[in-house]
Amino acid sequence: MEADDFALMVQVQGGSPGAFETLVERYQRRLYRLACGYLHNHEDALDAVQETLVKIYLARQTYRPSAHPFTWASRILANQCIDQIRHRRVRPEQSLEEAQERRPGHEPLPLLSSEEAAQARQERRELGRVLQGAIDTLPPRQREIFMLRHFGEMRLEEIAATLGCALGTVKSSLHRAAQSMRDHLGRTDPVFRAKEEEAS
Amino acid sequence: MSPRRPPRICRAARDRMTLLYYGALAAADKADLLRHFDSCRPCALEWSAISRCLDAVAPETVFPRETEVDWREFTRVVVARARAAKITGPGIAPASGWGRLSLAWAAAFPVPARFAALAAALLVAAFLWNGWLGRGGTSGGRPGSSDSGVEGQPLASLLESAHVMQDRLARRGAVRYLSDSRALLVNLVGPADPCRKGSGQYDMTLEKEKSRQLLRRKNLYEGGLGALQDQRLATLVRQLESVLMQVAALDDCASARQIHDLREQIETRQILLRIDLVTREMEGRTNVV
Repeated sequence: MEADDFALMVQVQGGSPGAFETLVERYQRRLYRLACGYLHNHEDALDAVQETLVKIYLARQTYRPSAHPFTWASRILANQCIDQIRHRRVRPEQSLEEAQERRPGHEPLPLLSSEEAAQARQERRELGRVLQGAIDTLPPRQREIFMLRHFGEMRLEEIAATLGCALGTVKSSLHRAAQSMRDHLGRTDPVFRAKEEEAS
Repeated sequence: MSPRRPPRICRAARDRMTLLYYGALAAADKADLLRHFDSCRPCALEWSAISRCLDAVAPETVFPRETEVDWREFTRVVVARARAAKITGPGIAPASGWGRLSLAWAAAFPVPARFAALAAALLVAAFLWNGWLGRGGTSGGRPGSSDSGVEGQPLASLLESAHVMQDRLARRGAVRYLSDSRALLVNLVGPADPCRKGSGQYDMTLEKEKSRQLLRRKNLYEGGLGALQDQRLATLVRQLESVLMQVAALDDCASARQIHDLREQIETRQILLRIDLVTREMEGRTNVV
């Protein structure tokens, strides 16, 4: 995390030209990844990030520098995602892509051109799906800590501050999460298993 | 685990591997651990497996669609929205009165619809504002001039931005509509699931439901593709509508004949190919967020 985030937030509060744009540019991708972790849907994640950033702008005067700005932003995002999940429970929606992926015997067809690119994209998506599946198997607290570390790019101390838990809890959760991920990949991903066998 | 080394040392080493990976070990501990790996092959293998696994958890692998987003455009949209929200009233609504109404509004309409409504509200505001200025009214000042940005710009420019945003959103919605429709049609052209209720019939429940969803979504941006350069897109969207309406009108268990007719129509009109062409054209022309 950049050290001048605090200074940037002060500028945003003071209405300096371009300060809010810089904040958005700096945080949007990290927030998007966290949102994907919560919502598992690209479009929903983008919506959540937009809403979060708008809320940050509107509530900027309530920010207190006792917490890192990204820590504050990630809490707003988490609440936004929880709201969206609740809303989704009331009005369940499933994207077409998801529905078709889950339907047996209906593999998505590759694009008409560039078969190789489609193949590579498919493989990358497959690995991404396996990893996402592995992350989903983690208990909620471990998952949150793991996501904040990997996708929020937060230091362990910042994670502890964000979640209001001890640093030791963050360390032990990350340790258990890493072990679970490794076991899951070893069981489900043939490429990872092959590499392991090759190494031993 | 090495037979000459007490397992306790290896267990301790494995407990610290994650901390080593995350750079949370003191220098001395790190050096100890690396020395241990040099002399203990099972631990070294475990370390390499853990590192490989955690290295794989990279954002570009787990979230491959992140690269599809035009983040610069996304920033612009967010900033414009944030400032427009400040002008039109706080987005974080209080729990009563207008706040509750605003929450209900936000829950009832998806983001593109909210954008369209916001743009329409801005247009009305501009109309009233211009009429008022035309009558010579000058007092009252501008709303929120302390924060330099959109509030400080002339209203006409703000409205222009709202128009541009609305057009972009319409295109973005149309491109997504095309992509989802394509997936549906590909599904329709591919092997169908036999229907449980009758032999020789095929289960079209999913396709029907999705067609209805797509037709509902289409209504959200209908009328937003009037520009000359969007004509091809608008034509295709209209033709797709006719096919989707036919799919939506199918029975849950459709006959092979009905499906065959639909497939023939999709192939004759070359709809899949045209969707690909128009999508590529759109993605090349507009950086769709």
